Amino acid sequence: MPTTRTNALKKIFHAVPSPIETALLLEASGVNFSTGDLHDPAKASGYATTGSQAVNLGVYAGDLSYATIFNRNQEAIEYLNVARRLADELGVGDLIDSALIARAEDNRQVRDSLIHIVTSTFYALNARLKENGMEDVSGLIAAGGWIEGVYLGTRNLDGATQDLKVRIAEQKLTLDNLMSLLGSYPSTEDLAAMIASLEPVETAFAGVSIVDHAATTTTADDGMIVISGGPEITISDETLAAIATAISEVRNHYAN
Amino acid sequence: MKAIQHITLAALATVFALGLSTDATAQCRSFTKKRCLPKLEEYVQNDNYNTAVLIPGDEAELSLTFFGGRAYRLLVCGHPVLGDLNFQVLDARGNGVYDSTDKDMSHFDFRVANTQQMTVRVQVPESSAALQHEGCVSIMVGSKS
Repeated sequence: MPTTRTNALKKIFHAVPSPIETALLLEASGVNFSTGDLHDPAKASGYATTGSQAVNLGVYAGDLSYATIFNRNQEAIEYLNVARRLADELGVGDLIDSALIARAEDNRQVRDSLIHIVTSTFYALNARLKENGMEDVSGLIAAGGWIEGVYLGTRNLDGATQDLKVRIAEQKLTLDNLMSLLGSYPSTEDLAAMIASLEPVETAFAGVSIVDHAATTTTADDGMIVISGGPEITISDETLAAIATAISEVRNHYAN
Repeated sequence: MKAIQHITLAALATVFALGLSTDATAQCRSFTKKRCLPKLEEYVQNDNYNTAVLIPGDEAELSLTFFGGRAYRLLVCGHPVLGDLNFQVLDARGNGVYDSTDKDMSHFDFRVANTQQMTVRVQVPESSAALQHEGCVSIMVGSKS
């Protein structure tokens, strides 16, 4: 399509891991699935404002992803239905229609298919929200998903593997991505409230030590480029506990 | 009367421009779904929608954390009207990790040993054509174990 614009621009994007990616990391780190840690589906009908609906859609997307990755198929379908209800409230319910739910139910035993359904649905949802000028809502959903991912990862830290501790510590980097994402949209009351709510979480993550190193690249035997180097990340048990407390407070503030 | 005509014309122009913009954005979603998403089929797709309507000379940048132990496909998908897009991957210090220039590839497959933040920088080539065209550019990321 011809354009009348002549001045060049630089478009900056910030991205956070999808809830599915976070759930995959948690599963690989030895986290145990606990239904009791998930947000109560019955509460989905109690959110009346756009902001609370968006954040909780993100929280439920985190639970949906968690259930999907851990092959808890019944819960996954239930959370997909909950996501549908909130997406409907946000005016994008057609993206999670009956046909999609039926397809998920038909594929409930095939984890890869469910993963594809979840990721492509939330991709389409984000696209539609941005297309409709509701980028702030998309940002709040991303924040809800991020919060729930870290919340679920920090519920049972007794006996946590070293791998899990490192994965939690690494979320300092994704929190940085999230704050940049939220700050990149024109400010709204809900975005400002979310940024303020995450400040204690940032304070808790400040205890994570990151020693920066340059990245290096090598080529593996199979020809794949491997990126090594980068930051050296360490975390103490005290910092881990502080993160668990801070994330629990912000999560329960929104998912009440 | 003239003032009213000016205001009406300005309002019409704004509505027209907004219409074009919405139309272009909607076309982007369709373009991304048909032309870009299939290239990430073997990967778990990141659900962020990093797509914009760009013109020759524009740049786009994406900042993201890549996790150690995961394999990634970074896909820079642009409408053919914009020509061959170049992209670079930079580490957190701004050092170049990858450059697509002269590689004739729209994607970069790699594994990450240690978790790190990186930036993807995309350039739409300049054009000397009298009529400049706009097109969609999407930066997409998929991962697998």
